[in-house]
Amino acid sequence: MRRSAAPLLLLLLTATLLALPQILPRFHTYVAAIVLLTALLATSLNLAIGYTGLYQFGHAVFYGVGAYGTALMLTRSGMPAPIAFLVGPLAAAALSLVMGVICIRLSKLYFGMLQISLGSLVWAVVYRWYSFTGGDDGIHGIPIPDAIASPKGSYYYTLIVTALCVFAMYRIVRSPFGKAIQGIRDNPVRAAAIGVDVKLHQLASLVIAGFFGGVAGSLFVVVENSVFPDMMFWTFSLEVLIMCLLGGMYTFFGPFVGASVIVLLRVFASIHTRYWSLILGTILTLVIIFLPDGVLGMFVRRPRPKESTGA
Amino acid sequence: MLRVESVVKSFGGFKAVDGANLHVNAGEIVAVIGPNGAGKTTLFHLLTGHLSPDSGRILFKGKEIGGLSPHVVCRRGITRSFQVANIFPRLSVFENVQIAVLSRERKTFRIFSPAKGMAEEEVHRILRSVGLFDQRDVGSDLLSHGDKKVLEIAVALSGNPELLILDEPTAGMAPEETERCIRLIRKLSGESGLTILFCEHDISLVFEIANRIMVMVRGATVAQGSGEEVRRNSEVRSAYLGESGEC
Amino acid sequence: MDFAANLFSAGTLSQILVGLSRTTILFIVSSGMSLILGVLRIPNVAHGSLYMIGAFAAWSVIQYLGGGLPAFLAAMIVAPLIVAAVGFVLERGFFSYLYEREHLMLLLLTFAFMLILGDLVKIVWGPEYRSVTVPAFFQGSAEIFGLPLPWYNLFLLLVGPCIAVFLWLVINRTNLGKIARAAAVDGEMVGAVGINTGWIFAFTFVLGSFLAGLGGALIAPMVNISLGMDHTLIMETFLIVIIGGLGNMWGALLGSLIFGLTQSLGILVWPQFGIAFPYLAVVAVLVVRPRGLLSSTW
Repeated sequence: MRRSAAPLLLLLLTATLLALPQILPRFHTYVAAIVLLTALLATSLNLAIGYTGLYQFGHAVFYGVGAYGTALMLTRSGMPAPIAFLVGPLAAAALSLVMGVICIRLSKLYFGMLQISLGSLVWAVVYRWYSFTGGDDGIHGIPIPDAIASPKGSYYYTLIVTALCVFAMYRIVRSPFGKAIQGIRDNPVRAAAIGVDVKLHQLASLVIAGFFGGVAGSLFVVVENSVFPDMMFWTFSLEVLIMCLLGGMYTFFGPFVGASVIVLLRVFASIHTRYWSLILGTILTLVIIFLPDGVLGMFVRRPRPKESTGA
Repeated sequence: MLRVESVVKSFGGFKAVDGANLHVNAGEIVAVIGPNGAGKTTLFHLLTGHLSPDSGRILFKGKEIGGLSPHVVCRRGITRSFQVANIFPRLSVFENVQIAVLSRERKTFRIFSPAKGMAEEEVHRILRSVGLFDQRDVGSDLLSHGDKKVLEIAVALSGNPELLILDEPTAGMAPEETERCIRLIRKLSGESGLTILFCEHDISLVFEIANRIMVMVRGATVAQGSGEEVRRNSEVRSAYLGESGEC
Repeated sequence: MDFAANLFSAGTLSQILVGLSRTTILFIVSSGMSLILGVLRIPNVAHGSLYMIGAFAAWSVIQYLGGGLPAFLAAMIVAPLIVAAVGFVLERGFFSYLYEREHLMLLLLTFAFMLILGDLVKIVWGPEYRSVTVPAFFQGSAEIFGLPLPWYNLFLLLVGPCIAVFLWLVINRTNLGKIARAAAVDGEMVGAVGINTGWIFAFTFVLGSFLAGLGGALIAPMVNISLGMDHTLIMETFLIVIIGGLGNMWGALLGSLIFGLTQSLGILVWPQFGIAFPYLAVVAVLVVRPRGLLSSTW
């Protein structure tokens, strides 16, 4: 039943996403683009935390570096735009590799904290280096190629890139590599004992997650035309983590759903109230207490043993 | 096939393994026995690279393997099970075995080709041979305790080892599960000529299936030989069989 | 050469002393976090919010009592007690049901509390800056080696060691402390011998919260009390606890010293990127000693 419904659902979703800018007003089209790129960001984080089991607490840094890399290339290098859109994510992947090499020896919470620490280091540099990154003001009025500069253009660009990246990650988690990292998440000792080089796989997963996080950052530049240091502050990293948790960390599309819910809530709540954090905190508390597997996690049915042996 | 020569491993001031010697010939079933805390599990961890020895030699097929990483040891041809069933709980039974097969085939860095259906035949064959074929789509954390331990053996087998190390394969099993597990071990040894090294608390079981037995007390090897030889050894009697005879 | 000149100038010593007094605050707050981490194993992100509440509560108490030294001293006691009460509610109301959850979940739950408490502070105290003036008693400066050091900083330098001794006594010389330490190692065992671990945990959390509140109250005269003062502090506290060794009280002290000194000296040496120095120090420590400087209870 569910299997046959999936392609239909996907078709419907694609049609809706393609039609959105035609029906929605300008501001809502912009919001939809932010939803998409944040969903991409959350999905990329989930590759590290949900699929590899690494406490990636500083993911926003890769998002930020992807964005700053793209922005700086566009404003300062005079190179063609496509190169800028590639350099941002590649810089994020490279940073991810460097940070990964340093952090990977540590387990769980230590890994997460060292990552936050390194991330804060990057943030502090970006925040203060006025002559290069614009410091706490960020960079504004970034020139975007005409074809994707309009709200509709940037939306479609975001949609296409997000779709491609999500599809690529979907392939990755279903590949042998994807299985191996899930094995590592579940039980690194067991994984090593069957010949899997745990650290190498973890590192590869971090680099992939960092790269796609960087892509999300480059999309942010297109949609927002500006970058600022807050987008790589640690609180935002944890917010993206909440998106994964809300949607379901052990499902592929969970983070996508979680990100959509949170971004939309934030946009519409902030119109009506100044107390967005209160709402987000309350949602998070309820999810942790009542829905630890997330919204999509509720729908996952795992086949049970046929006969109860021994019991 | 495997030679362990006066291996020592200490934690802080405590010598967990203190002069262990062991040799295992191809095709044998060898058991390591000893009272609680004798260092059996530590010894196994040393053999499979989960710990590295302070001194002594561990030779596998003539080459030193002491201190290598676990995944390297595995590629040399030794796989193992752990005392507490050690599986991938969020994955299905099929996936548990599949990862091991893909790892052996060095395919775990393929990132775009779907894993579904890869190595299916071999995984099915392995699952059939251990009797878990019908449960292949079940989430492995939902299996019974005995089935989990059997699954772990299946995972270890998927690495096509030359030497299989089992750390208390029947611990915590119900009697009929134990029976099944013994049959499995015998079958593995008999059919495919697999060399097996295991440790076990159940002494009668050890004497039943092992070709040779090594006895460890306080980290050191005190005797090694056939069941009959070990039974006659006076040191073993006093140090070990005497104690457990009372229980 | 400029750097060297800055480093060996006459101001360096007073800068170090000012840095040390800031270290006192860091130590008080992070010892509270370390306690909670060591015994309850909760990486409490809301700890910074408790600190912020401490500062705001101190402001309110001083406003209510109308200033002066007695009001100030009263605030230093009442504000932490208010924060301790908040901690009590959090522990009994939420955490006590969730100790079995994995650390990631606990961490995110405390992040949720940080968000909630942040907005509650905004509702109670409003979004404006608040400031507390140093009571007349502490105004002016002492002369140390011919350099001026504000009396209040000197006061903080004395408070720090007092707190350290107090904590040492609580942990090592009281039954409560001994049980808490045992519970940190093996909660089940302590429970099995008939001790109610629930109340030990509650006590630890309340004490940890009290320390956070005290840190907030003590820093109130030195900074603008504002929303968001929790964000930077909590990260610093976490890193201090991590480099010191999770759950180790002396580690918290050592970590605070490293953090506070690299911070004040960093700004002296290279004003623009001074804020990056403590993070560099943390990275350096963790690269050399991945589990922190002193032994961890984890």
